[in-house]
Order: sequence, then C-alpha cells, then structure tokens
Amino acid sequence: MTAWSYYIATLTVYFGVNVLSGLSLNLQFGYAGVVNFGYIIFQSVGAYIAAVVVLGPSSGTFQQYVFGAHLPFGVALLLATAAGAVLSLLIGLFSLRNIRRDYQAAILLIISLIATQVVQGYVPLFNGSNGVTGIPRPLFSTLPVSLQGYQWAYAGWVLALAAIVYVLVRWLSRSPWGRALRAMRDQEDAAAALGLNVTALRLQVFVIGGAIAGLSGGLLVEYIGAWSPDAWGYAETFVIFTAIFVGGLGNYAGVVLGVLLVPILFLELPRFLPQVGYPGLMDSIEWIAIGAIWMLCLYVRPQGLFPERRNRARRPAAGPLAEPRPEQVGAV
Amino acid sequence: MGSTLVSAIGFGVVLASIIAVAAMGFTIQFGLTNVLNLSFGAVMTVAAFSAYLANEHGVGGWSGLAVGGLAGAVLTLVLGRGIFKPYARRGAHLFEMMMVTLGLSLVINYAIQAISHNNIYQFAVLPSRPFQLGSILITHTQLVIVFISAAVLVALESLLRLTKIGRALRAMAADPELARACGIRTGRIVVLTWLLSGFLCGMAGVVYIINTQSVGYTTGQLFLPLVVAAAILGGAGSPLGAVLASLIMGIVTEVVAAFGSDAYSTVAGFGILVLVLLSRPGSVRGGQSGHTQLTL
Repeated sequence: MTAWSYYIATLTVYFGVNVLSGLSLNLQFGYAGVVNFGYIIFQSVGAYIAAVVVLGPSSGTFQQYVFGAHLPFGVALLLATAAGAVLSLLIGLFSLRNIRRDYQAAILLIISLIATQVVQGYVPLFNGSNGVTGIPRPLFSTLPVSLQGYQWAYAGWVLALAAIVYVLVRWLSRSPWGRALRAMRDQEDAAAALGLNVTALRLQVFVIGGAIAGLSGGLLVEYIGAWSPDAWGYAETFVIFTAIFVGGLGNYAGVVLGVLLVPILFLELPRFLPQVGYPGLMDSIEWIAIGAIWMLCLYVRPQGLFPERRNRARRPAAGPLAEPRPEQVGAV
Repeated sequence: MGSTLVSAIGFGVVLASIIAVAAMGFTIQFGLTNVLNLSFGAVMTVAAFSAYLANEHGVGGWSGLAVGGLAGAVLTLVLGRGIFKPYARRGAHLFEMMMVTLGLSLVINYAIQAISHNNIYQFAVLPSRPFQLGSILITHTQLVIVFISAAVLVALESLLRLTKIGRALRAMAADPELARACGIRTGRIVVLTWLLSGFLCGMAGVVYIINTQSVGYTTGQLFLPLVVAAAILGGAGSPLGAVLASLIMGIVTEVVAAFGSDAYSTVAGFGILVLVLLSRPGSVRGGQSGHTQLTL
C-alpha cells in the first residue's frame, strides 16, 4: 500500500503544478487571447533558479551553474516566481508588439526551441544537457514526519498554493482589469478605440502568467530534485494547452477538470496498460494522441467541455478562438 | 583569421542553400494560402525518410531528391485538401489554422518517432571526399547542393515572372477575390501551390539529410525555425527574398559558430529573429482582426 500512497501523493503534486500552469495559460490565452507557445521556458527558468539558489556555490567539477547560493526554500520560490516574471517581461517586450496573432505564436514557439538549444549548448549556465541535480527537499530533515507523511505534506503545500493562485486569478479576471482583457480579446480595435492600452494589457497579463509559471517550476523542482532540458521540450507546452482546450477556455473549473483529464489521467493511465511493442512506443502514441485531441477539439468543440460563462447576452460566436470577421470589424 | 572567415562564409553559403530550398517552398505556400504552416518541418521529415527507404531499396543517389520531392508534394496536397480545407470550411481563420498545423505536426512527428523506433539512421548515400576550393574545404556534394538551390531559385522566379501560371499565382497571392473575378481558376492554382511547395519541402528534407548524412524524427522540426524566420524576413511569397534572407542567416550562423561557440550561433539566430520583428512591421502588422484571409 505504501507504494500506492507514494504514487498518489506524487500525482497530487503534479496535479497542483499543472493546475498552476493551466491557470497561467488560461489567464493569458482564455481571457486575454495572448498565445504563449513558449510557456514551458517560463516554468523552467523558475525551476532552474529555485534549484541553483539552494544548491550552494557551483563547484565547477560535478555540475556548473550560475547564481549558486544557500538560500531557504521559501526565498527560492519567491526568486523562481520573480525569474518567471522577469523573463516574461524581457520576451514580452519585443514579441508582444502589435503583430498578427499567428506570427506571435510562431515566434514564441521558435523562442522555446532556441532556448532549449542555448541551455544545452552553453554548459556554464545550467550544466547543459545533464541539467542540475541533487536539489535538497525543503525541510526534509527538520519536519518530524515519515517519508510517507512528508510526501503528503508536500502535496498539501502545493495544493494550498494552487488554491491561493486559483482564487487570486479568478478575482483578477472578474475585476475591471479582467473585463478589459476580454474586451481586448474579442474586439481589439474597439478596445483600443475606447482608450485601453492593449500593448500594456498584453504585457501585464504575460508577466503575471510568467510569474505563476515560475512558481510552478520552483514547486516542481523542489519535489523532484532535478531539472534538465529533457524535462522541458517545446511539446510540454501543448499538453497544458490541450488540457485547457478540453476543459474549457476562460473557465477556471474547466481548467481543473482539463488538467485532471489530460496530463494526469490520460498520461498516467498507460502505465497500467500492458506494455505494447518496444520500450518508448507508448510515449510516442501518447504524443500522437495529444496532437489528435488538440485537432479534434479545434474541429468539434473549440469552446471546451465547460465554456466560459457569460455575464450578459453576447453573440455566441465570440470567444478566444473566434476571430472577429472583417465585416464585424467594419461595423464597429 | 582571414581564411577562417572565408571558410565560415563558405559553410554559411552551404547552410543557406539548404535553408533556401525549404524557405522558397514555405514562402510560396505562405504567400498564396496565408497558412502559417508549422507542419512544414514534419513533412520534410516524412520526405527525408521516404528518400532513406528508397535508398534502402536500391533507388539511391541524387534520385532520392525526386523521391523526397514527390512524397512531399503528395503529402502536402493530401493535408491541404483533406485537413486544412475542412477546417477553413468550419470557419477557422489564420490563427486557428496555425493551431491546426501545430497539432498536425505533433501527430506526424510522433508517428515518425513510433515508426522509426526513435532511432537515428545513417544516410551516407553520397560519400565524397572534401577538396580545397580556395581556402574553403568543401565536398562535391555540398557544391552540388549550392547549385541545386540556385537552380531552384532561377526556375521558380522564371515560373512566377514569365509564365501564365506564374502570373495567376501572383495575382491570387495579391487578391484572391479579384483573381477569381478575372477568370483565374483559383481552385487549380491552390492545388498547384500545394504540389509545388510540397515538392520543394520534400526536396529540402532530402538535401538536408544528404548534408548531415543522418535522419531522425526531429530532422525537420529542428530546421523549422530557420525556415520560418527566413520566409518572414524575406517577405511572404518572394523566392528571391527567401534566398537573400537564408544567405544572411546561414552566413551569420556559421561565422558566429567559427569565432564563438555553437551556443552563441543559436543566440545569433535568435538575434536575427528579433531583427525580423523589428525590420518588417509592415508585413507582420495587422492586429488580431487581420484583413488577410485564408485561401484554400
């Protein structure tokens, strides 16, 4: 039974981390229409920063990295959050200009691919392809609990943080600022004509999402204890995107459901199926299925299982995936 | 110093020639249909594997280019008709279509991973000894690749400028509604575009693996950023622009790699991307509404 308890606690941690990712992407894409196809690099900068600031100064022999220090894990999490925000600000400043949305998305995707190559190629930064490892678990030796108890305590800690962020993000998106985001998403020209600074709004939502991404990376790395470029391939971003597609864009309960269905249930279930073919075949099939679900969602139900709840009557066509048609723009 | 620079430029031209074949295909497709097709890299990989398999069955040498080109052309037409068009009928616009191509690229790439058992295969069909050309150490194969790229450019530009079909293509890229009103059979032109760009895409995949001498499921995906950046920098729909952009990117990448490290050369690629963004506000602007329409 202990193995099961351990496994489920681990899944709970992953669930909490993925909920954070889903909230971040849903705020950016579901509410503001900003397509962050480089999401995973903001999560991984948080993970790297949280790792190196607790690992101590780099010895240079076993593993090389920058910013080595012995900071408490709470400070490391704050720094991870800040790192996600700062990197988002830097990348957002030049990629969020007023350009076509498909260009913008492609550029963020390309940045994600390039970032992986840079971290792999430039070893002194974060130890190249091998990645950083041996990150101590927060308070592992000080807490008076068993290994089992520690697992569950950490899972609870992640869930608590995810819940706080959930409430915070929901509050934000119901505020006047959140309404401005939706106005920008549905009718950008009209929103700009009303005096909203759409570029600033996009940058704000990008930085807030990046901060949440950094936090999620920090939480994840403090649990698994290692981080390397293998953990953050560009395709990881699409798992979260598929989750929020399935759950429902612009609906936070839908995000939680989507995360439960896609990254947890869907990607974990194959472990319990009999092994098919050569080792690794199941992984390929999972990714094919992710792509297929993604395409199916776009074809059948772009609004997800739980669509965004509308405050007032609106044209049903509006939503994050429906671009206004030219004739509508012309009518504004 | 001087000779390092010259040989780096030489390698840059070779790299540029490989990028250019793909970028010309991409820019023709993108300029006419307006689909930002992120599954382009996946199609390149499929074509590369087709050439590899053909080679295993005795169709080797440069005829692999034709095999890959045909595979790319057929697959691109099938995807264009069978997948992109139905989505457009259901009301997908520019952005949704890009999302569709992205999902598609996941499906194709990982299907290749599954079929290829995630292995990298040797593709040393044209082993040729390097020789000295001035101060550049180059192989015959690489020299031929440069010539192929130049020939494709000449053929494509003359097709666009001198023939009736080329005029129809350019007219449709400029204004599909008006072209249709003028009696151009737009449906046929779109089919032709899928075939032509697909052929170039497939050829580029084969050229790429002829140079690297190995093929794996990530072959096209890793190459895609360079291709997209070259097509955007050169201006959608312009083969000559794509070639010039490829030359800039190829030479910058190789020169930085020669004097710095590989990591810096990727950063240089990143710098070019920034340059793309800053230099072409006119062509990439358009907000979210965008008045550009898909032509399928």
